[in-house]
Amino acid sequence: MATVVTVTSGKGGVGKTTTSAAVAAGLAQLGHRTVVIDFDVGLRNLDLIMGVERRVVFDFVNVISGEATLNQALIQDKRLENLSVLAASQTKDKDALTEEGVGQVLSQLAEMGFEYIVCDSPAGIERGATMALYFADHAVIVTNPEVSSVRDSDRILGILQSKSKRAKEGGKVYEHLLITRYDPVRVENGEMLSKDDVCDILAVKLIGVIPESRAVLKASNTGVPVILDDNSDAGLAYSDAVCRFLGEDRPMRFVTPKKQGLFSRILGGGD
Amino acid sequence: MMGPRIRANRYSVMTLEWPKESTPIAQWLKEQRDKAPVLMREMAIVLRPSSEHEALEIQAAVEALAQLDISLMGLTGDHQHRAVADQMGLAWLSPTNVTAEPELSQEVVGAQGVEKALVIEGPIRSGVQVYAQDRDLIVIGQVSEGAEIMADGNVHVYGRCRGRVAAGVGGQEHAQIFCLTFEPELVSLAGTYCGSDQIPEDLWSARVRVGFDKSSKRLTFALMR
Repeated sequence: MATVVTVTSGKGGVGKTTTSAAVAAGLAQLGHRTVVIDFDVGLRNLDLIMGVERRVVFDFVNVISGEATLNQALIQDKRLENLSVLAASQTKDKDALTEEGVGQVLSQLAEMGFEYIVCDSPAGIERGATMALYFADHAVIVTNPEVSSVRDSDRILGILQSKSKRAKEGGKVYEHLLITRYDPVRVENGEMLSKDDVCDILAVKLIGVIPESRAVLKASNTGVPVILDDNSDAGLAYSDAVCRFLGEDRPMRFVTPKKQGLFSRILGGGD
Repeated sequence: MMGPRIRANRYSVMTLEWPKESTPIAQWLKEQRDKAPVLMREMAIVLRPSSEHEALEIQAAVEALAQLDISLMGLTGDHQHRAVADQMGLAWLSPTNVTAEPELSQEVVGAQGVEKALVIEGPIRSGVQVYAQDRDLIVIGQVSEGAEIMADGNVHVYGRCRGRVAAGVGGQEHAQIFCLTFEPELVSLAGTYCGSDQIPEDLWSARVRVGFDKSSKRLTFALMR
């Protein structure tokens, strides 16, 4: 049985696609056969973040409508043998996603032996987002430490526990909270919600805090999931988060301000 | 001295749904009146005939209502019936801006009483609405900002309450609200409400009980020890 993991947030621009790429790559790195699907039909981005944009011939919608087989549309990652990508269509819209079609693709992926199916949800609470979360077993809720993002996450959690298949069958989707773009210095100055504030409002188990980092933008621009960058705080924080998702207990890193050296303080350095 | 003025007010009005194929309306109304005579006499009613009803049939029904001492305010439904309303001097209520309330069930007409409470395991998330009709509501867990919880009876929240809370929504002035951690956006009892800025500051985040003072028509807040 494959496990469906939906990465969602409600709000746009908080790091869902970055997280989907990182989580999928992290699971694959640990030896799990993983596929990551872009549900953002019409605004496809995941292929860029994964660095496979030149290899997209067929997409998710082609498979749903029977124009291509799953094998034709799956793109095997060149860095990780356990990882595949299923891109979204750029020309269609969210109406192309049907419950039946998505369900068929997911069960076919499970039959092919994938252990984890990571669904990258679009922003909003409309069709694309509800389709991405409908089949979820687990949900990773991506939140920025900022009030509007937290409220939207709360909303999507409500939808998750009422409109998903598991919820409709009387069960529950496992919830995991991931805080991204965290700046410990600004938290200390009271300009940003702390991780404890966010956890207090959402009451969901925290699996990771990803620090605001230049490495994320660099990784996106070069098409390498940031988790593969061992030299960055963000990459290491994502690795921790994936391990916590799998049940491992790890201490939180990068949640307190770095101690600045004398020189950088005098020179006003650091970022 | 204050001059006359026009204000927008909302009143609770019952709609009498009248399908084409049904028991003769006069007979049905008589039965209802015999069951609950006081209620029927005090009820303001709007009649909604089906689109297949002829003008003459509607006129007969209006007369039947008058004979039974039921105060009919006007007609609603299909626009072709508007002429009948004008002819008989009744108000025409446009069906487009109607907000439907839950149907008045037979049991409620017969005996009003609070049933077992509706118990919900939280958290109740932003955007979620919960309504406990004719009963108390008990929430175990938190109520998020942007969530709305309502009951005709009392509301109990065993957790942090940050959403909108309304008790006694059917006008039950005895209803109360109890919260373990009181941080609501809005509280309302029997239609009287208070925004979070009107809540005494020393009670914020405390264990609070909200009641309704009938003489002053205001909400009362008390700390629960």
